[in-house]
Amino acid sequence: MRLKELTEGTTIADKLLLAALIIISVSGFIFIKKAFPQGTDVIIEVNGKQQYKLPLNTDITVSVKGVIGDTLIEIKNRKVRIKESPCPNKICIHNGWTDKGAIICLPNRVMVNIGGSVGIDSQREDKPRKTIDAITG
Amino acid sequence: MQSQDKYRIALLSAYAIAIHSFENLLPTPIPWLRLGIANIITLATLVLYGFRAAMMVTLIRVILSSIFIGTFLGPGFIMSFGGGVTSTFAIGVVFSLFPRLFGPVGLSLIGALFHNMAQLFLAYVMFVQKIEPILIVSPILILLGTITGIVNGVIAGMLIKSITKDKKSSS
Repeated sequence: MRLKELTEGTTIADKLLLAALIIISVSGFIFIKKAFPQGTDVIIEVNGKQQYKLPLNTDITVSVKGVIGDTLIEIKNRKVRIKESPCPNKICIHNGWTDKGAIICLPNRVMVNIGGSVGIDSQREDKPRKTIDAITG
Repeated sequence: MQSQDKYRIALLSAYAIAIHSFENLLPTPIPWLRLGIANIITLATLVLYGFRAAMMVTLIRVILSSIFIGTFLGPGFIMSFGGGVTSTFAIGVVFSLFPRLFGPVGLSLIGALFHNMAQLFLAYVMFVQKIEPILIVSPILILLGTITGIVNGVIAGMLIKSITKDKKSSS
């Protein structure tokens, strides 16, 4: 069967509607991807108390006051690291960039938890996994 | 309603139920993705015999095939019912207001769009109750609905043409 026979009987309004629907769905797809990025939150706790809740996809550097001093936490390119820490061994700094789990600095009582996702993921997983990557002393 | 109409509705409903039930057996990559080929019958009924007949066929198809499949009054049935009635209503309104504006493909696209919107709304009310996942899924659904809508519209157009040809040659 030729293509002309298949498209016979379609009106201009049909074609316009088709174009509109494709444009709407594709642009909607792009827009929603921007509006709701697969967001994961970074939760920074000091002494068990939540100090910050930051999205992983925004680059930021924050300073939190711990027990023995200020810890500098950097979020960049969807990864987190502890940039500066007053603790003696600096294991939390050597832990480097990570995008899942947690970084814990025990002497300063700072815990950086990556997880607790927002959006669709939070329904799929009822409880965000809390795996500990490294305990630093 | 004339008895001839009753026969037509019965026959068309039987076709629609058969297609709907068959389609239910087909495996699809995503569980809630349906081709909606039974809508070909709805569309042809609307164009050939009017809105009342199309709505009757839709109602009979949705209710009876859900009884056959075993989902009657379940959540799947409510989704199917809401989608079917809304889309039939939408194409019925468009077709009676502007009968010459859209061809079968355009009507099929409208039907698919309203079917998806109604189902998204029902899914929101019944299961999800969160707006973000609905918004994320809706463009994908609209796009898929557009693709299946074109296919259904083309087939419906062919069906309508062959039925009107038969009618002309027989009378």
